[in-house]
Amino acid sequence: MNTRRLLIALTLSCAVLTSCGPGRTPDRRTELVLWKNQVGLQEEAATVALIDRFNASQSKWRVVAQSLPQGGYNQSIVAASLAGRMPCVLAVDAPMVASYAWAGHLRPLDGQVPAATLAQVSPAAVGRYRGAAYAVGQTDAALAIFTKRSILAQTGTRIPTLDRPWSGAEFQTLLERLKASGRFRYPLDLSTRDDKASWWTYAFAPMLNSFGGDLIDRRSMRSAQGTLNGPAGQRFGTWFRALFADGMVNRNEPDENAFVKGRAALAYTGNWWASDYRAHAGDDLLILPPPDFGHGVVIGGGSWQWAIGRTCAHPDGAGQFIRFMLEPGNIAALSDAGGGVPVTEAGAAASRAFRPGGEGRVFFDLMRRFARERPSTPAFPTISNAFTAAMRDIMDRKDVRDALDDAVDDIDGAIADNPAFAEERP
Amino acid sequence: MTEWTASRGRGRFTALIFGGPALAGLAIFLVLPFLMALALTFTNQRLVSPQATEFVGLRNYERLLSVTALVQAPVDDGAGPVWPRVRDVTRADPAYAGYRPLTGFSLGTRRVTILAKDPAFLRALLNTFVFALLVVPLQCVAALGLALLVDAGLKGQTVFRAICFSPVVMSMVIVSVIWSFLFDRDLGLFNKALGMVSFGLIEPVDWLGDPRTAMPAIVIMSAWQGAGFQMLILLAGLQGISQELYDAARIDGANAVQRFRHITLPGLRQTIVFVLIVTTIAALGLFTQVDVMTGGGPRGSTGTVMFEAVQRGVREENISYGATIALIYFALITCVILLQQLWLRRRARRAA
Repeated sequence: MNTRRLLIALTLSCAVLTSCGPGRTPDRRTELVLWKNQVGLQEEAATVALIDRFNASQSKWRVVAQSLPQGGYNQSIVAASLAGRMPCVLAVDAPMVASYAWAGHLRPLDGQVPAATLAQVSPAAVGRYRGAAYAVGQTDAALAIFTKRSILAQTGTRIPTLDRPWSGAEFQTLLERLKASGRFRYPLDLSTRDDKASWWTYAFAPMLNSFGGDLIDRRSMRSAQGTLNGPAGQRFGTWFRALFADGMVNRNEPDENAFVKGRAALAYTGNWWASDYRAHAGDDLLILPPPDFGHGVVIGGGSWQWAIGRTCAHPDGAGQFIRFMLEPGNIAALSDAGGGVPVTEAGAAASRAFRPGGEGRVFFDLMRRFARERPSTPAFPTISNAFTAAMRDIMDRKDVRDALDDAVDDIDGAIADNPAFAEERP
Repeated sequence: MTEWTASRGRGRFTALIFGGPALAGLAIFLVLPFLMALALTFTNQRLVSPQATEFVGLRNYERLLSVTALVQAPVDDGAGPVWPRVRDVTRADPAYAGYRPLTGFSLGTRRVTILAKDPAFLRALLNTFVFALLVVPLQCVAALGLALLVDAGLKGQTVFRAICFSPVVMSMVIVSVIWSFLFDRDLGLFNKALGMVSFGLIEPVDWLGDPRTAMPAIVIMSAWQGAGFQMLILLAGLQGISQELYDAARIDGANAVQRFRHITLPGLRQTIVFVLIVTTIAALGLFTQVDVMTGGGPRGSTGTVMFEAVQRGVREENISYGATIALIYFALITCVILLQQLWLRRRARRAA
């Protein structure tokens, strides 16, 4: 009994003081702390495998990875920065890159990742701020309209292509025919069930772009007056409002499976649903570009990206790690595990789903041709919240001009309070 | 004399030893953050910012509380009287810079619009008090009813008590998600039941999607979730009332209603006061249900003060403004609770 107790105590103290564990060889390599957001199991495993592979290939650096819950990730970074304990390499969500760069949490990638390498990457997957690249992703996401061949055939609608997408009018006609058929109470699912600002801005700001408006004047980054609430913005808002008023879209689908359960004929969502939809519809599934509302097809761009902490003592090691992650085989490995769209042509060619002729190739083409990054300004969190609040109000029948004016006042007010948000770009 | 001082001093020392840990905890986790928040409200501090924090005086308070009115005479454009669009006026006239319409009414042919610099906050304030006003009576009466039922000595009352208490143990987020399904317009249980009972006469209600029904829906759900807790406290109060009183009343020929009116209620007075105050405080902190079920919508009809504070302070990173909301709200809640206390105490004195 006593020996058993002693054993337990020994084991416990061993767990606490890992130094007494056997078989640990001293490691002379320099440690680089890496922070990443927690993601799905397979993607997590793939990233960990990549980090292990990097460490195995290294005599100089050893990356020590820590996964942080995604919900509080931003707060963790802010807290770490305030406490002066930023990691060397960190994953950053694309819309936050400008905030972090502006706040001095990040170091530009110049000199660590060659410009020629970055030039291979889909432009929206590079996090830039004031002309400098601060972050780069391995994979990105792409939005599309999902529907079935049989549904389009029944309504006599042509199948759009990347070169000849639907016009706004064609899309409207399709919606009206679907609604009139009586088969679908709400023909289109826009995932408005998700009320997070990240989804609303990612999904609907590109539509605003396609109408000819934008969240903010991207040249000056000083004001949204006229770009968000101008004639284009109002046309977009009016169209969006009518989708709900005419019963084309349910403001709050009871679950995420409107398309799979056959309640909706069209779903506007991202590549992450493709495998579920494929399992449901098989060869009948169509993955189509979103409509062109007059100023070209636009989809959102920019997912989680790798960046280097400003206080990192060994930026060359961090740079080497990021260069390693951007090798085609490693991009493909992450894409195969997590389902993200590879950001480079070579990475896509090496991947299972996104190589030319692969079942997900259309997402790679959509991303390369139509992805537009979010406005790169530290005011983005305010912009995103203001835009989302306005669009949700418009969905709930608020006057379009009033709602957009509110958003513009919020955005311009925040920029006026923080003049440094909009300092001259070099 | 000296002995008295010494014993008094020793008593103070003992009190400090016993109270010390709790007082230190209160000071570190309550008083200090409060003072820090108070200091923040006079600055433009943001959560992430490389800029030095600047003193901005009362700007945050001014933005939060400014209210004014815009009176407009009609303009006749031939097709009847028309009033210029309010937002065009407020955005063009520097005197109304930063103001947005809160509400409006007509005065003869004139149109009066109440403007505020932060209408969302004022609406949230109103929403929160409406919520408290609706949920506190509903929840407390429901809790009392449940407590009486559980206390009635029916068979299997332990099981019944456990069932009534189970919603309290469940995570509010989970309860909110489940109730969102129940409230669903097309597939939800409530609309299906209403349709069935009325043979399809009652049109499906978009509970959480209609500005008129969203807050009542949250009230019903919150009362259901919270009543079990109050039930438990009231149950304890009920069991503290002497059985002899009831026996004596029965001998005197008092019926059930009279026994409830003249024994149960007076016996529960202190418990009810406690339950009212606790429920009010909890109701004024409404956040989770709103965040999960409606996100403050539709059109701001369910936005609450706590929701606004988190939205502005944390999600938009404007922590000084969030702190100002929290501080003003703290002052308001203190007033409400003091008034409630005063009122209840006066009633108690009148009753005695």
